[in-house]
Amino acid sequence: MAYKKIILLLSVVLVIRLSQCERLHEQIYSSIEGGAACFQRLNGTHQAGCKSPMNGAVGVVQMIDDVSDAAWLVNNATAGPYMAVVNTAMFLDVIDLFMLKSDNIAGILIYQNGTARPKTFSQESTCPNEVSSDPASQCPASSGVSWNMGGTGLLRRNIPFPIFYLPQTRIEEIDKINNCFQRYNLDRANQNGKPLCSIQLKSFMFAAVNSEVCLRRSTTSALLTPTKVCDPLGDQNVYFSLFPRGKGVEVKTKPITLVTARIDSASLFDGLAPGAASSVVGMVTLLMSAVTLSKMLPISDSQLYDSNVVWNLFNGESYDYIGSQRVAYEMKFGAWPTFAPMDSSDVKLHVELGQIGGSLNLYSENASWPLYAYAAESYTPVTEFLNEMLTNAKQFNMTLLPVFTKNIPPSSLHSFRRILKNETESGEFPEVLLVDYKDTFTNAYYESVFDDADNIGFVYRNISVGPDGQFVPTSALLANGTIREWDVQVKISRLATALALTLYQRVAGKPYADDVDASAHLADEMLYCFLRSQACRLLLAAAYATSTVEVPVASAAPLYVGVAAQSNTPAIFAGHLLALLAGTHLPLNKTGCDALNKPGFSYYWLRGWNHTGVCMQTTMNFTQAVSPAFLLQDYDMSSGMYSTWTESVWAAMWARVFVSGSGGGARAAALAGAAATLAAALLTYWLSKHADLLFKQPADSIANDAASGSVTGHRYFEL
Amino acid sequence: MDLNRLPNDKKLQLCRWYFKVGCIFLPFAWAVNAVWFFKEAFVKPPFEEQKQIKKYVLMSAVGAAVWTCALITWVTVFQLNRVSWGATGDMLSFIVPLGRA
Repeated sequence: MAYKKIILLLSVVLVIRLSQCERLHEQIYSSIEGGAACFQRLNGTHQAGCKSPMNGAVGVVQMIDDVSDAAWLVNNATAGPYMAVVNTAMFLDVIDLFMLKSDNIAGILIYQNGTARPKTFSQESTCPNEVSSDPASQCPASSGVSWNMGGTGLLRRNIPFPIFYLPQTRIEEIDKINNCFQRYNLDRANQNGKPLCSIQLKSFMFAAVNSEVCLRRSTTSALLTPTKVCDPLGDQNVYFSLFPRGKGVEVKTKPITLVTARIDSASLFDGLAPGAASSVVGMVTLLMSAVTLSKMLPISDSQLYDSNVVWNLFNGESYDYIGSQRVAYEMKFGAWPTFAPMDSSDVKLHVELGQIGGSLNLYSENASWPLYAYAAESYTPVTEFLNEMLTNAKQFNMTLLPVFTKNIPPSSLHSFRRILKNETESGEFPEVLLVDYKDTFTNAYYESVFDDADNIGFVYRNISVGPDGQFVPTSALLANGTIREWDVQVKISRLATALALTLYQRVAGKPYADDVDASAHLADEMLYCFLRSQACRLLLAAAYATSTVEVPVASAAPLYVGVAAQSNTPAIFAGHLLALLAGTHLPLNKTGCDALNKPGFSYYWLRGWNHTGVCMQTTMNFTQAVSPAFLLQDYDMSSGMYSTWTESVWAAMWARVFVSGSGGGARAAALAGAAATLAAALLTYWLSKHADLLFKQPADSIANDAASGSVTGHRYFEL
Repeated sequence: MDLNRLPNDKKLQLCRWYFKVGCIFLPFAWAVNAVWFFKEAFVKPPFEEQKQIKKYVLMSAVGAAVWTCALITWVTVFQLNRVSWGATGDMLSFIVPLGRA
């Protein structure tokens, strides 16, 4: 018998397993994969960005096809709150309405449909980093024009609902949502009490209020909850000097030309900050000019020249100039960089490569590339530099128009103009900014998800690199038709060459006569590394040589600065590229390389072009890009002096779609529960009243029972 | 424990003990004492130790009531002002709520 029972049990289990291969949870919910969520950042006075409630925000799906849908949603829809599903083209038209009347909005799902892009898409404000700008600058200008005309400013506003972004590659998720929407939600007039297609978005953020509060809560070690709720933003700046500098290296301090650009970009959504025109073009130009000049003026000749060039890449510039504020702050005390400090008076000219690249698409079939040079005043070093730069740019079909105004575009110049006010205003610290726009950005996607390779018209040529890292000269590529005059690679390499030639003139005091120039081939590789794939030739050769070979992911690294506690890859990439391409190759093995300790240099054991390991001697170094606000004791976070941005900690971000019940089932369950409770109570009451009918009497009363002959008699008897 | 089975002198001992325990910042012991011995103190027919039990029950009841009022007042004041007290409010919190002020 037992044998038969076991067989029966097994077969029942088998049948259940076969019929219920999906869990109930999976039958109800369908998760939306590949989305990127908007998250929360805080500064000294405010919180900015999005957060959902702790269990996620739930809303009825409404596809927004035109503005009238959005108007209906906020004014007339009754089955809310709603989850608005908007494509990027519509987003700019409806976001203000949703922000204004957010009561009926549970969240927004933005998606990119097709290759057509919106005319503008920038979540940065119209005047980026306005509060950290030089007070003498004016944005919007008196004419009403501001730098980032299409900016919604969402990046710096507190958004009362979660927002998720779905890229074009995940369009099937939108099809899924749309099918569900078409099936359940079309009858707008009768949505109440019906099952409706709904979305749940979860992006709960731990931090709140402002940086001061969240940092305080992160450091307070409460007994039970030592929870970190936010971290300061920050990363590393990349420093590189033409000749080694510092005590014991130089006989006397050489005057310096400081050339800077920024590394980072931003976007509203986690992990999506391509920043092609916003930052990559400037950064690549800087890297290439440094590599080129270090070939024109080899380190062995350093004693022949009386001046030096320092290149620096700032990180965290999107968030109130974190990197440049730190440098300007330390320079004020003669403490930057820590390994070879310079005084602000050592810097005879500061050249910043600002946002260049926004106009590349406008001149995509044209070899010309109009650039503008902004400077507050026409100080002699500035005009000298501009004259020289103009001459060098002209031979490459580039124009450079000087603009002398106190109204400097958003750039690191603002940090120096605020923190080193006396020096910059007196002309001791002359500054000039190279950009490719005048009055307003040419980049319509400033710091957004669309500021990618396509935004600058970059097409990778994939030309093989020589065994020792030889790049094909631009002239050869142009001659064999691999690359054309108007390609971005050519334009960037020519700008880098023009800059290197100008810097050569400043250092050597004479025009350059040899034939070294920046190769469009190198620009091709660099742009590919920063915009398309980290698994590129350059980065593979510039990575640390370790025994375990990690293959990097075949996508570009996001350029968002991230939290200071974790170091991000873009700064490391840029630094290693300088070490590999502009450093000196020493014929040593790893042990020998690690043992070297010559002042003024760092030593890197990189993988090299043969992937066997090379010892590179370089002046490149990293410095901290963390705002002075987080260093100073008792800094007043609301003073607005330094960047105070922090990023909230979060545990999970996910999105899912499901059909929410009409509410009838839940109501029936509640009513049935109440009825059952009531019935049970009544029954219990009745039972306790008539307990003697059901239970035997105690032994000592049996005799009485027998005597009285009835139960009621007994009760009577006892009473 | 069934008080009915306890001799009266033991009842007084127990009641006094509960009162003393309540004195070391344990108002809940007072509250228990007041409820537990209420019948002994006020309802039962008089017995020798009843007067003293009555005294302890009354003192326990008053003590517990004062504590309750004080705690309710403090909790209300704290909950209403935690955010505006800023750093002090956070310091006084055992569990700081995530994601809000």
